[in-house]
Amino acid sequence: MKINKQHVAAILAVAGLTMVGLSRGIRHEDPPIRDDAAAPPKIAAILIRSCYDCHSNETRWPWYGYVAPFSWWMEREVELGRKQLNFSEWGSYYQSTKIRKLQWIDRTLSQENMPPWSYRILHPQAALNQTDLVPLLQWIESELASQRSQQNTNASKEHSK
Amino acid sequence: MKHSRIIITLLFLFAIALARRAQADDAVVELRFENRRFIPQTITVPANQPFKIKITNSSKEAIEFESFKLNREKVVGPGESVIVVLPALRPGSYDFYDDFHQDVPEGTITAK
Repeated sequence: MKINKQHVAAILAVAGLTMVGLSRGIRHEDPPIRDDAAAPPKIAAILIRSCYDCHSNETRWPWYGYVAPFSWWMEREVELGRKQLNFSEWGSYYQSTKIRKLQWIDRTLSQENMPPWSYRILHPQAALNQTDLVPLLQWIESELASQRSQQNTNASKEHSK
Repeated sequence: MKHSRIIITLLFLFAIALARRAQADDAVVELRFENRRFIPQTITVPANQPFKIKITNSSKEAIEFESFKLNREKVVGPGESVIVVLPALRPGSYDFYDDFHQDVPEGTITAK
């Protein structure tokens, strides 16, 4: 069978209608912000721009986030991202959890693994350059030092009881 | 010329097979996640020998086996088992935890 333009158009039409059908009723429910990370405005702006779509409850869902099958993949990625690190729940994390997460953030940023390339393709503005990375890594270092110091203080208090 | 290419290819395949065999021979340690805890909570492995951990999630929620020191993170779905390959460790303690549930007690891998 020879495939002509009409066949291609028919296939595209069926695929389009299937996508429309599958996309009906797609809604993304963002949980409320429980206890957002308190970062200086400059750092908060970088985090919002490059991290918050997957690592907060303030995801900016693009139009294609409502079109199946992309919506399914995005939903899964955001769910996983929030489970791994959620800045909207930062304040509810245990001190040890905050330390672990800060260590991982430090490592992934230093190795330039985040934001992932698949996200950067569609969100080029999310890419982190040296102007972003230097203050971000400095903030992480200072947060880590502060959390560790608080942890030591708490441990000393527990010990002296 | 043609023969030398064939020999090089065969040697290469043989090396891959050997490496795979060596990896397959690594000791496998079993770790289960159940009732919001890892069982056992402490794993002892021989130092300086690579090994694998077979993690079985017997709970109804997904977990993420994670260790910063070991630079490993692996999501395990409910009812699933995964294998995490680890390199030879220096003698010492390496903590691991479930990154999805912060109230789950930490576990430790002791290499000695």
